[in-house]
Amino acid sequence: MVFSSLTFLIYFLPIVLGIYYIVPKKAKNLVLFLSSMLFYFYGEPKYIILMLVSITSTYIHGLLIERSINHKKAYLVSAICISLAFLIFFKYTDFIIQNVNDILHLNINLLRLALPIGISFYTFQMLSYIIDVYKGKVKAQRSYLKLATYVSLFPQLIAGPIVRYTDIEKELDERKHSFSNFSNGVRRFVIGLSKKILIANVVADCINTFNASGEKSVLFYWIYAISVTIQIYFDFSGYSDMAIGLGKMLGFNFPENFNYPYISKSVTEFWRRWHMTLSTWFRDYVYIPLGGNRVGKLKWLRNILIVWLLTGLWHGAAWNFIIWGLLYGILLVIEKLGFLKVLEKIPSFLSRIYLLLVVMIGFVIFSGNSVTEIFDNIIGLVGLNGAPLYSAESIYSLLNYALIFVLAFIFSTPIIKNIVLKVKEKLPKLVDILEPITLCVLLVVCISYLVDGSFNPFLYFRF
Amino acid sequence: MFEKVKDVIVTLVFVVILASLLLLNFIVKDKDISTSERRSLQKFPNISLDNILNGNFSDKFENYAMDQMPFRDSIRSIKTLVKLDILRQKDNNGLFILDNVIYKSIYPLNEKSVQNVASKINNIYDKYLTENDNVYYMIVPDKNYYLDEKSNYLKIDYNKLEKIMNDNVNSNIKYISVLDELENIDSYYNTDTHWRQDKIVSTGTFEKITTAMNINDRIKTPFIPKTYDNFYGAYYGQLGKNVAPDIVTYLTNDVIDSATTYNYEKDKEAEVYDILQADSSMDKYDLFLSGATPIIEIRNEMAENDKQLVIFRDSFGSSLAPLFTEAYSKIILVDTRYISTDLIEKYIEFDKNQDILFEYSTLIINESSTLK
Repeated sequence: MVFSSLTFLIYFLPIVLGIYYIVPKKAKNLVLFLSSMLFYFYGEPKYIILMLVSITSTYIHGLLIERSINHKKAYLVSAICISLAFLIFFKYTDFIIQNVNDILHLNINLLRLALPIGISFYTFQMLSYIIDVYKGKVKAQRSYLKLATYVSLFPQLIAGPIVRYTDIEKELDERKHSFSNFSNGVRRFVIGLSKKILIANVVADCINTFNASGEKSVLFYWIYAISVTIQIYFDFSGYSDMAIGLGKMLGFNFPENFNYPYISKSVTEFWRRWHMTLSTWFRDYVYIPLGGNRVGKLKWLRNILIVWLLTGLWHGAAWNFIIWGLLYGILLVIEKLGFLKVLEKIPSFLSRIYLLLVVMIGFVIFSGNSVTEIFDNIIGLVGLNGAPLYSAESIYSLLNYALIFVLAFIFSTPIIKNIVLKVKEKLPKLVDILEPITLCVLLVVCISYLVDGSFNPFLYFRF
Repeated sequence: MFEKVKDVIVTLVFVVILASLLLLNFIVKDKDISTSERRSLQKFPNISLDNILNGNFSDKFENYAMDQMPFRDSIRSIKTLVKLDILRQKDNNGLFILDNVIYKSIYPLNEKSVQNVASKINNIYDKYLTENDNVYYMIVPDKNYYLDEKSNYLKIDYNKLEKIMNDNVNSNIKYISVLDELENIDSYYNTDTHWRQDKIVSTGTFEKITTAMNINDRIKTPFIPKTYDNFYGAYYGQLGKNVAPDIVTYLTNDVIDSATTYNYEKDKEAEVYDILQADSSMDKYDLFLSGATPIIEIRNEMAENDKQLVIFRDSFGSSLAPLFTEAYSKIILVDTRYISTDLIEKYIEFDKNQDILFEYSTLIINESSTLK
């Protein structure tokens, strides 16, 4: 089930919220667990067993690690292997077979397994739990229900943010429900829904038009590149906003996942603002255990490239994701070797343009379906593939999406947030009156888009 | 203090909106059809283990939720308003409105589709007709043909489409060019895809066709215009925006009044302008020959000859065909979207006493996958 669907908005959510707030405190986790199972089962009926097996394995291993004196490491390795085995089997087997076939000229049949939705997210959550238990950062959860509720909690189950057990350990036992929390949740949810429906889905149409077009031009390649850059941010950050908002409605405080990444002035800064729960996960559970930067230069270089190779692979079992990840790894190394200082010295608009160009090229790679297509989409930006400067279709698309692009640009920055804060200082009541009205209007408009059939799955469901 | 009140208001507004929609969905009875969109609405999907496990249930339930949403048309119109008037997008689901006329974009030119139509026409010719037959074809332009070049809306290259047809259709089939005959957009309904029957005559388009077919002298009785009703066309419901309805004007005379139609599929006779059908139909364009059907014939009891006309056509032919009534004893209309060309010989005996006309609009020519 997706948040931006009528099934979720007008059936699942009001019913679950109603039951959740009616039942006594003791039963709230059970309601959340059952509703999360229903949420997952509805979209992925066949793989619910897989998730429950993973949760059970993690639960048992957590207890074993805590109780064991001599075999802690063995249990840790066992838990990690089981979780990763599921992930690798379902996500990477065909990629491995395909490459073996290509390199060794074999003809091994592909498994063609459907990817269980959210497997990359919940596997990483379980890994963080089990590693933290091993390190003694948290106590193993004795209640199966609580651990299962943590892993399967529907707001963040299938597309993040990657909530660590330590983030919500206390809230699984005791959480605060208040109008303040709930209304903050509503704000985040409606903003996220609007990002997804009114911007990401709309530019997705532009991308589809480009992909189907036989009139590609330099202008159209730019429109496409800008559109994918907008779409991926608004789709994913919209989902994170909705997840965080839903969490607040239910009394949880999930970590932030985005902090206006497109205003960054370097790749280093960008990755401090983009998908923060993933980059900090890799930092804490891969980069630092490998030695981080407290090693020799070669090993440090190796550590960075391993992390970014894994980051790319985490996003998908395809070469474009690996190239995308390694591109960032290489750029981060270049920046750390001295380019960052150059970026700090040049005018900020130049460093911002550098970052946006890098991110845009990165997402063209990220979104491509084949190396040939990606190459064509990149050289098309400068007309090296012989494309004309513009075409009737590209002019139409530009006019059709002009205001959406402008809005996307504005909402990618904290401009509106800062204006609202300033106005609130001088005219607090005006903001207080306008805010509920704006949220109400946005919610109704989003529903109208959904009723008219703008149903699109989230991009990050495939990860 | 006010902050707390605001929190309560935000919470209540959200809960009330979602809870109201939930309740309304339970209370309001499901509908079978959408009159504005002219289609059946998704019913509550069957609950079965198979359906649930293979994901059919969840797919259909989302469609059900979209289709059965109370006040669906009003809610959809909010999207149209936001998209076209606030976000200044140029179209909504390919539909747009200019000077109170609703258009549907057809773009780009699908050359393979055009060639497919030419090939379908040639196949029929090769199978059933000879060079001794009088065979004609015409291309009816869709509304986009009359779009102003300065409007920045996309427009296919109609000359190229016409050229592909001319290059590929058997040269024994005479081309009747009417692309420039309809003068302007007023020849079409504002809210619908079709041309207006009264304009086919008043613009001289019909005369050009009859001259080319050499039947001018057999159509002597003047047409009398009559109006039927307000007409909200197919585009009206699809766009979801308030536009004044069209008025259906149809042309008749004693000959047409006395003629009848026979629907092969339904084994049913009716009047050429089927008011009974139009009254009960969602689509008032069904006034012309009772609406879409595989084969229908117009029988002219007052005919002064035994000539027949066979028209291979799309829906534009429904309003064109009655105008030919006086010139023939029988007009047989075949819609090859609904019947395979291989089956035609079961119903029609081709002979030298017939004229043959292929009539297809650019809408069908550019998207001809429906032709059998």
